[in-house]
Amino acid sequence: MAGKKPNKRNVVRNASTRPTGFYYILAAIAVVGASILGYTLLRKPSGAVGTEITPGPAVASGPAQGYTMGKADAPVEIIEFGDFECPGCGYFAVVTEPDLRTRLVQTGLAKFTFMDFPLGMHKNTIPAHNAAACANDQGKFWEMHDRLFATQDQWNTQATDNPKPFFEKYAEELGLNKDVWLTCYNARKHEGRIMANVAEGERRMINTTPSFVVGSKLYVGALGYDALKAIVDSATKK
Amino acid sequence: MIVAALALAGIFVALYLLLYKLGMIGALSCAVGSCEIVNTSKWATFLGLPVAGWGVGFYIGMFVLAMASTRDAYAESRTISALLLAVATTGLLFSGWLTYLELFEIHAICQWCVVSAIIVTVIFFVTVADYREKSRKEESESALAE
Repeated sequence: MAGKKPNKRNVVRNASTRPTGFYYILAAIAVVGASILGYTLLRKPSGAVGTEITPGPAVASGPAQGYTMGKADAPVEIIEFGDFECPGCGYFAVVTEPDLRTRLVQTGLAKFTFMDFPLGMHKNTIPAHNAAACANDQGKFWEMHDRLFATQDQWNTQATDNPKPFFEKYAEELGLNKDVWLTCYNARKHEGRIMANVAEGERRMINTTPSFVVGSKLYVGALGYDALKAIVDSATKK
Repeated sequence: MIVAALALAGIFVALYLLLYKLGMIGALSCAVGSCEIVNTSKWATFLGLPVAGWGVGFYIGMFVLAMASTRDAYAESRTISALLLAVATTGLLFSGWLTYLELFEIHAICQWCVVSAIIVTVIFFVTVADYREKSRKEESESALAE
């Protein structure tokens, strides 16, 4: 090595391409990035932390009325403010709700109420809420609710400008009296109630779906079953 | 070196969006005017994979290439500069398409997607400058050799 003539180009390269500071900068970016990601991953999921809410004064928008399943005297009521076109609500309905129904509602630990909260950004959601409300007239709200969430990607804003044929098909498949359902749907018979439910949600400081109200606490986002069970247990103890 | 540092930062931004998309950060929800709309839209998936996943792959690729380009053996290689430029151009075009979708199709802007778009744009201009410099050097060296 000592006898070798130094390569001028390599000397220049070594000096310019890999200064120690470069590795410090990379290390700093890696540490900051990993810390932020680690913190975000390890902190408690936001959905499981309830926020205390103080409902505002009631507004004259008609009677708000949700759709309830379970025993009337169940010790806890879980109220979901949901939007039929919201993927988060769809995720909750498909993944968590079956467990909620069999393990909390059917066992009498809680009752579950769905309140309409259609978001303005979803163009087909109000027709969907109307479709469900009209199915409710024939005692099949939950059947339509389940069908709408399960097929969300077929009738949502991205899929179609005209969701009505889809809803008509579901009404038929669910065995509803089609003419009665269609008359109700075309007349938007229950839109006042749907908007009253939105007003009720806004009064309870809701601006995201799905949002859940249990007692005086608000939980935002698609909760998993374990989080819901913990919330119900904690509300039952009170 | 600048590209490597930016790509490393980009890896974390894309990873954050990917973890969000996979439901590992917070609960999936729909809200007005934020990343939720963008990340729950039908355009959040490309060729069956979350767009954020493609982003992670892109930034890892950029980072590896950029680190290789700082090695002595490749320090003056125009080939690796051309490769960096090609990947950066692909990233810029993809990012431009995503920004178009945000503005004109989804009508919502996700701030983390904007951060990523800025990183990709800076990476692109740095790789262009690097490629031009390497080309100039190579041309002047070959002119000297003649």
